[in-house]
Amino acid sequence: MNLFTSSTLLTLLMLITPVMMSSTDFYKNNKYQHYVKNMTLLAFITSLVPMTMFIHTNQEMLISNWHWTTIHTLKLTLSFKMDYFSLMFMPVALFITWSIMEFSMWYMHSDPHINQFFKYLLIFLITMLILVTANNLFQLFIGWEGVGIMSFLLISWWFGRTDANTAALQAILYNRIGDIGFLLSMAWFLHNTNTWSLQQIFMLSQNPPTLPLLGLTLAAAGKSAQFGLHPWLPSAMEGPTPVSALLHSSTMVVAGIFLLIRFHPLTENNKLIQTMMLSLGALTTLFTAICALTQNDIKKIIAFSTSSQLGLMMTTLGLNQPHLTFLHICTHAFFKAMLFLCSGSIIHNLNNEQDIRKMGGLYKILPFTTTALIIGCFALTGMPFLTGFYSKDLIIETATSSYTNAWALLLTLTATSMTAIYSTRIIFFTLLEQPRFPPLMNINETDPMLINPIKRLLIGSIFAGFILSNSMPPMNTPLMTMPLHLKLTALTVTTLGFVLAFEINTYSKNLKYPYSSDSIKFSTLLGYFPTIMHRLSPHLVLTMSQKLATSLLDLTWMETALPKTTALIQLKASTLTSNQKGLIKLYFLSFLITMTLSMLLFNYPE
Amino acid sequence: MSLVHINILIAFAVSLTGLLMHRSHLMSALLCLEGMMLSLFILATLTILSTHFTLANMMPIILLVFAACEAAIGLALLVMVSNTYGTDYVQNLNLLQC
Repeated sequence: MNLFTSSTLLTLLMLITPVMMSSTDFYKNNKYQHYVKNMTLLAFITSLVPMTMFIHTNQEMLISNWHWTTIHTLKLTLSFKMDYFSLMFMPVALFITWSIMEFSMWYMHSDPHINQFFKYLLIFLITMLILVTANNLFQLFIGWEGVGIMSFLLISWWFGRTDANTAALQAILYNRIGDIGFLLSMAWFLHNTNTWSLQQIFMLSQNPPTLPLLGLTLAAAGKSAQFGLHPWLPSAMEGPTPVSALLHSSTMVVAGIFLLIRFHPLTENNKLIQTMMLSLGALTTLFTAICALTQNDIKKIIAFSTSSQLGLMMTTLGLNQPHLTFLHICTHAFFKAMLFLCSGSIIHNLNNEQDIRKMGGLYKILPFTTTALIIGCFALTGMPFLTGFYSKDLIIETATSSYTNAWALLLTLTATSMTAIYSTRIIFFTLLEQPRFPPLMNINETDPMLINPIKRLLIGSIFAGFILSNSMPPMNTPLMTMPLHLKLTALTVTTLGFVLAFEINTYSKNLKYPYSSDSIKFSTLLGYFPTIMHRLSPHLVLTMSQKLATSLLDLTWMETALPKTTALIQLKASTLTSNQKGLIKLYFLSFLITMTLSMLLFNYPE
Repeated sequence: MSLVHINILIAFAVSLTGLLMHRSHLMSALLCLEGMMLSLFILATLTILSTHFTLANMMPIILLVFAACEAAIGLALLVMVSNTYGTDYVQNLNLLQC
């Protein structure tokens, strides 16, 4: 009898307590924030126990608590699956949430509804953990919808702003489109394998047809902002920076990828789905990297960077490497959250300025933020032996030495070099050169509630890759030998990107483009995707439905077809047959014909 | 029917046809009306004389009187039309047309 079960359930229960306290008086005073932050810290420490047990003894556990209902032959229970993925993800998510909560105590300090903000963050964390530890699709769907709802509430935190409301609605709509795929797979699994619990699904359908996996891919594309369902992620930067750091960089957007990782026993047998995931991921990563090259809002650049890394994760899933994808999820969470926290520090210190064309020269003014930003960018691009290296470099190595689609590989390599280019753009515009903000700014970074989270995530960005990849038990044989030029591919393209970006950035000392080319317009307008899809297709659908419903059905079929036509016929017939025209000759002629006819008829009676 | 009767009846029918199918002049209608009256008078006189129907001896004369009055009225109407329009074309008579 060990502590596995109890510490797992204690972790989950501990997080519910502050939410339940929100109906009391305690919710109203300032201690609530510290209470929530401390609860998250304690939950993190408690969740280290099962993780350590898993690393040490490879113990996994399936906790099936409460039999809720049985509908005919479908048995629904409350069950938690503590395996490789959920056990390693829980401490990472809790660590990052703890740091972000401490940061938001500094960032949202002057907000009157700060307690509600913390409650929302906590509910988000709870639903994310429900999603991660779910053993059946029903519970997963509860967590899935929960994170969607909390994303909506948190993006529209400043709901007085129109853009924030539109962005939240956009997030909900795009997630809903993905939910269609999720429900499709749930229905298929219910119909064909009679269950929603993962164990039975994996036992009964070793080679499923493409349809349920296609549904799951659509769900992941909606939640994780793959190409075609991606515009909500840069728009979601309307929310406060802690929200962007938690939801839209580390935790919520990986939910889609996590779903596909959960279903890896099914996808590893289906070549078509793997190819689809590969192509979709490669397209996403390149497209969003192109869009990130010319953005002017620092949060949007980081958002597109997140989207690009999500495309990379999808590509890795297409290479049939779920464990490598999971490692990239964990490591990416560290440095991406830290990048958002640094950008939050810069934004707040420059009096809510988010345009990088109005920042500059922060190298000497904010030394700690500068350090963290530069290390975060290097970790993002995969600098050797920082965090990103352990996952990203492995992904590129696996991609270059596997029997895969050359086009997808080429796109991924191009996107990797573009990562270096836009990272350099961030560093150059915010930190280097002369200051471009108004001179009377009150800039300080001495508050420990700002420094400590960034410090923790900084240590995580440097060491977490090493620690995680050496602690995680290996699940497949790593590739040990490859030619030198394949080994150095990632490093070469990244260095190429850096050199190119430094060259180009020295040419753009003045911030205005004298001649704008078509490529610039493509990149700045996000590939024309929102322009076309947000206006054109709703317009077409609505005009078609207006024509069908109103014009065809209402006006034509129900009004004009019988009632108005009858009236018109009556009118015409009456005007035709009942007027005086003075046609004397016609009348006389008809009289003659009648007379002749009657005489003929009455004289020949037989 | 005897041949004489058929002859008069054909004269009546021809005048009727001419009345009902006149082309452009009102005068032709009135002339045909007179023709109808004349043939009716002759028919009535012949029939009454050949059947010795003495009591109806007055009928053709009265018919002739009324025909004369009617012709006068018709001619007066014709004169009025000719005063207004200058001719007696029937296509001018279209005041009731809507």
